[in-house]
Amino acid sequence: MKKSATLIASATIAIFLTGCIIIAHDLSPDFKQLLITLTGNHWTSVSMIIIVLFALFSGLFSSLKSMRKFLRVYDVRLWSTALLVVTLLMMLGIFAELAARYLAD
Amino acid sequence: MFIGGIALAYENWVGHALIAIISLLLMVYALTTGATLKGRIKRSSGNISKLHRKYGIYFGTFILGSFIYGLWIKLQHGEPILLSIHGKLGLIILLIIALQVLPSLILKNRAKYRELHKIVGYSLAPILIIDASWGLYNGVIAGTKNLVLLHSISGGLAALVLVWIILEMRYPTDRSLARARVASYLAAFFVTAGCWIAGGYNYLTSYGSQVKPVILEGPYPWAHEIVMEMKEHVFVFLPIIALSLSITLSVLDRDTFLSDDKLRRALSMIAFLALFMVLLMFLMGAIISNAGQIGTEA
Repeated sequence: MKKSATLIASATIAIFLTGCIIIAHDLSPDFKQLLITLTGNHWTSVSMIIIVLFALFSGLFSSLKSMRKFLRVYDVRLWSTALLVVTLLMMLGIFAELAARYLAD
Repeated sequence: MFIGGIALAYENWVGHALIAIISLLLMVYALTTGATLKGRIKRSSGNISKLHRKYGIYFGTFILGSFIYGLWIKLQHGEPILLSIHGKLGLIILLIIALQVLPSLILKNRAKYRELHKIVGYSLAPILIIDASWGLYNGVIAGTKNLVLLHSISGGLAALVLVWIILEMRYPTDRSLARARVASYLAAFFVTAGCWIAGGYNYLTSYGSQVKPVILEGPYPWAHEIVMEMKEHVFVFLPIIALSLSITLSVLDRDTFLSDDKLRRALSMIAFLALFMVLLMFLMGAIISNAGQIGTEA
């Protein structure tokens, strides 16, 4: 049971980082171009990035006990709430950025 | 009266869709009470048998109303009836419901009939979801695209299995964890293969070249600039959430699952989040398709 929240914690961090990348690529044309260069389409790059981040953090949390302990990765309740809050905040953030850009144009 | 009210308010496919959505909710309730009767879900207070019967009848009535409404719309437009797959599936659903409801009301000894009633009841849910998704895209897009249809049906089925996970969490029994695992594998499959890969392929190959320019030239460019942009990016969170829930359930042991109420509530929260996102994607998809349709007509 000590690793029960590993995947939920990994998903939370992957979603947070990917959400930041999504907002950043909408704000910066250079960064968007970089993502297009990676796979040919910015959406495909974002999809790849979230998979890599999810796998990376899952691996890190599974193998590093100190990291699990530091981030309380055994606590399903804590990380479920974090996943809910982070996902909703990222959705709101992306919506706000897109709406603001549309209104500004 | 309720169906008549909707018919007066909407003389198009929106009313038909509204009645179908209410039918879907009633179906979930009828399935839940049915599972409670069989002991799959922990029994709460009240006469569950009476509730199951009552909501089964409501469900049947709304399906009948939705079917008649659909025929009425077709006749109003002078179109042939029951030629489409959506219409044929609707007729099949109606016949199945008649076979479910009528014997329950007529037969006095229903012991032999129960097993068949259970199997047919559970089979009805995916058929209704497929038909509802099919109808939604027929109504919104007019000409059905196979990949978009697969994308939409997968979303509907994902919503259904997420409701199943939530019910297993809320009313745990000895076999709830095993069933919740199966439901979570299905959710991960539908979201990843049906929604992400099929939807992503459609987005990369045809949306950008065919639908996007039409929406941008049409009266609702925000449908792409805000709704589609948000949908395509927020969606990538969903498979990760479904996978994390699925793998977490697969490593969980049964005793902890049954004894830890707070843990189940936490996992239900993740299932609720995924369900909310699936429904949001559905709504966004309908807005985008509608904007594309209006753009084509403009």
